[in-house]
Amino acid sequence: MRLPEFAGTSTFRSALAIFGALAACTVLIFGIVLWQTSAYLTANIDRLISEVARLAAADEPLRQGARVEDHLRADPRRVKLGGLFDSAGKRLAGNVESVPPELHVDAGAQTTSLTRIDGFGRQTQSARTVAQRLADGRILIIGRKLDEVNEIFEIVWTVAALGLFAALCVGLAAAAWLNIRSQRRIEEVNRRIQLIVAGELKQRLPTTGNNDPFDRLALLVNGMLDDVESLIQNLVSVGDDIAHDLRTPLTRVRIGLERARANARSLSELQPAVDQAIAGIDHAVSIVTALLRIREIEQTRRLVGFDDVKVAELLREVGDLYEPFAEDKRLALTVKADVELSVRGDRDLLFEAVANLVDNAVKFTPQGGRIELRLGRQGESGVVRVSDTGPGVGEGERELIVQRFYRSDRSRHTKGLGLGLSLVAAIVKLHGFRLSIAPAPGFVAEIAFQPTEP
Amino acid sequence: MPAFEPSPTEVYVSDASSAGDQVCEPGTACVRKVLLIEDDAETACEISAELAERGYAVEWAANGFDGLGKARAGKTDILIVDRMLPGLDGLSVIETLRRERVRTPVLVLSALGAVDDRVRGLRSGGDDYLTKLFALVELLARVEALLRRPAESPDTILRVGPLELDLLARTARRAERAIDLLPREFRLLEYMMRRQEQLLTRAMLFEEVWNYKFVPQSNLVDVHMGRLRRKIDGPNEPPMIYNVRGEGFVLRAPA
Repeated sequence: MRLPEFAGTSTFRSALAIFGALAACTVLIFGIVLWQTSAYLTANIDRLISEVARLAAADEPLRQGARVEDHLRADPRRVKLGGLFDSAGKRLAGNVESVPPELHVDAGAQTTSLTRIDGFGRQTQSARTVAQRLADGRILIIGRKLDEVNEIFEIVWTVAALGLFAALCVGLAAAAWLNIRSQRRIEEVNRRIQLIVAGELKQRLPTTGNNDPFDRLALLVNGMLDDVESLIQNLVSVGDDIAHDLRTPLTRVRIGLERARANARSLSELQPAVDQAIAGIDHAVSIVTALLRIREIEQTRRLVGFDDVKVAELLREVGDLYEPFAEDKRLALTVKADVELSVRGDRDLLFEAVANLVDNAVKFTPQGGRIELRLGRQGESGVVRVSDTGPGVGEGERELIVQRFYRSDRSRHTKGLGLGLSLVAAIVKLHGFRLSIAPAPGFVAEIAFQPTEP
Repeated sequence: MPAFEPSPTEVYVSDASSAGDQVCEPGTACVRKVLLIEDDAETACEISAELAERGYAVEWAANGFDGLGKARAGKTDILIVDRMLPGLDGLSVIETLRRERVRTPVLVLSALGAVDDRVRGLRSGGDDYLTKLFALVELLARVEALLRRPAESPDTILRVGPLELDLLARTARRAERAIDLLPREFRLLEYMMRRQEQLLTRAMLFEEVWNYKFVPQSNLVDVHMGRLRRKIDGPNEPPMIYNVRGEGFVLRAPA
């Protein structure tokens, strides 16, 4: 269960990837800015030198040399270039040493390298240049050093590099921070999971409450853990309950058999003990069967067997099944089901639930009592109510009694109560109905359900 | 046990060779053959011994393939098939046989108690289903019931000895005495009359007559049977409904 390193690098890597993309964008933007700027500056220079060249060319031939010199004056940054050459290429005026061979004359502005000669010496410079052949064959060159553009280039690149460096630092820091944060969270999750694996089922994954994906995942896992916890607790209690409830009949069987073996002197004396033992084992088996049945119902999630069940008819049928049984105990069993209500459900299971309630009622109501099965409405919902005039249960026992295997002490001698009610509870829960034990004299169980529209 | 009417109680021994509706070819031994497909040797041993004691000839197969082969080859009267078998499971065996149009009745045994499983067992072609941890009596009664499945007779009047049940008029009489039956009692009596001389266990009655798949916690069947018996067997008449202690009930014409 080692997650951290892997998750750590992945966080880090994604941070780096984001940074890389950002850097690429920045370079692209700077590139475009630079390109546009240099195009603009170059166009400006071109316009300027073209204008100077035009004016110089338009002047009188004798004054053209002076005009070039005029243009070159007042140039503290030493960016202006100009020259007048005769048709043989000999310099007549200006600060350009010679006509470069690659220079296209009368071809507009172009970038060339010109050699500058002035009071500071000789220097080759890259420049935008226009060359023009004058009417008398002389060549006029006007240029401007490209340094300004280059300087801007340099400045922009420096700024970009600095910015990128700063961004890289911030990015790395953020990545590291994110990394550490998720690392911590994962370590915490890891720690809790190990606690859970070690058996601390109460542990839950930490949540921050800000609904990020991690949080949602943690909530999901926590929900799952809730289910697992209740399932395991259920299982444990089922195990305990089985052990507890089987111990009694099995002990009785054992004692009975032991005594019979010691005391019986003939086969016929042994027989009752054997019969009793078989009855005891049957009882034990019926407990296991009922438990498995409850389990089965509780684990049923599908509703495919569901159909429209006529509740009144079902109650009458249960009444019909139990009437002779009640009569034997001198109990009056009445069914009051005048409302016709239908419900979505599994008919066999619903029958089993109601039958179990009536079964309990018959068992617990003393002779001469009454049992009533009634179908009624309570607002929107339908209610099946099974009530008797028996001893009922105490206030505190009502909730507990629905829990598996719970038996109210007074009834311990009557077998099967706890299981019967657990079964009813499981069936009711499967259907999404509500089971309640009403506070009333006698035992009153109510199943509330949502009837389907007729 | 509830207070029960004083009733004729006897130990009922089903003897396969004396079954009333058995038609024996002259010269052949009239022994009914059971093929038991069960992987647990101890269970198989107990079941075989019990069946043999009752006069059945038992053949045993310990796995699905073996069982399928034996079921195809031999003339078997009934199959008892465990649901879970090594190799080929019980349901597949039954399905295969049914596809091959083998109509031999099948009793499915299973350790799975689920109702769903029961439904699956019956749907795949089993004729009856018994959950393990059953009483041997229960098994015997079911085997017997499957072997003597009532023919769907077109008769609308059923007769057992002096007892007569008119299915159309919904009336019952014993000799000259008319018997007034509630609908539920009528259903129960009809079921028993179609299976006279047969041991009917409580579980069988509950499943077949009431059509309920759960085991009631109370002795409901006994109570209903008690009612019916009081109506059928009058105070001075020889009894027809027998309570076989701990096992079930039999309807039998008085000797």
